Amino acid sequence: LYYELSTEIFITYYRSFMFMNVCVSLLSICGTLHSVDQYLNIKLTDISVTDPEKYPHMLSVKNCFIRGSVVRYVQLPADEVDTQLLQDAARKEAMQQKQ
Amino acid sequence: MVLLKNLHPPTEGVRHEQAETTAVLDGQRLGCGTLYVAETRLSWFDSSGLGFSLEYPSIGLHAISRDVSAYPQEHLYVMVNGKLNKNEAEMAEKAADDDDDGSSDGGDDDEDEGAITEIRFVPSDKAALESMFSAMCECQALHPDPEDDDSDNDFEGEEYDVEEAEAEHGHADIPTFYTCDEGLSALTQEGQATLERLEGMLAESVAQQYHMAGVRTEETKAEFEDGMEVDTAAMEAGQFEDADVEH
Repeated sequence: LYYELSTEIFITYYRSFMFMNVCVSLLSICGTLHSVDQYLNIKLTDISVTDPEKYPHMLSVKNCFIRGSVVRYVQLPADEVDTQLLQDAARKEAMQQKQ
Repeated sequence: MVLLKNLHPPTEGVRHEQAETTAVLDGQRLGCGTLYVAETRLSWFDSSGLGFSLEYPSIGLHAISRDVSAYPQEHLYVMVNGKLNKNEAEMAEKAADDDDDGSSDGGDDDEDEGAITEIRFVPSDKAALESMFSAMCECQALHPDPEDDDSDNDFEGEEYDVEEAEAEHGHADIPTFYTCDEGLSALTQEGQATLERLEGMLAESVAQQYHMAGVRTEETKAEFEDGMEVDTAAMEAGQFEDADVEH
């Protein structure tokens, strides 16, 4: 089960997204969100790489800057996110877009 | 694509220049040279003029590597989308005139497969790594993806620092983040200021109601770039000048 969030909602509620799994092409990087900008460039700290066999060199990196345009999707831990709140925000946004 | 066969390193908009830097491309040492973190592209050239350049949109991520047990020296790690042919990198000095379209013939079919190239820039001065990293972050922010249909430019260009925000506001419960009018009174002073700033930006656009998602025209896009903490006049002037140079 997954939800699609608009950029605006992501940036609005970013403070609640501390831990995330960022998927970049074939690579999956898990870390703590340090900051995000309007282009969804993401800075993660304390990262770990999901496929260390394929990208062993990434293991030696602690913090990284990820370009927003290469991010395929971002996974957030479901139990740490208020999905009801996000659904409400998404619903409001969709209603406003209709106008 | 990714690799530009420039003869010369960039002379303008160089945010950081680091000499005595070894470049390692997919595990292959290219030698010692100078790294140029310029606003237009990332370049590396050795003393004989051999080198390569990278466009920022092709750089998926970059990071500082300090774990010497994983790689023997501290360095700047750069992950590039697509495959770079290292032979092309070495032959950059012999760039022919017909290459001025900027495209190389390496890895055109690799984009969909998610192939990447790993590049390491190993400076002799390890203390410079933070500056190199920061300079690359700044330059990346100058090259957003132009095809993005989402109205990403609703927000000012500042970076939202999670730790900073938490230190200021405390780890607030989620319900305190409001996007609708009823929650305005619950905003902190800074939140009010941010809201006023956002509303001012929205007021300049077509929409009258306060909403988070909007369709932005090309004109307003430029407006929001002004919100970035960059001297936009200088940046735009620099961009245009560079466009002339490349032709």
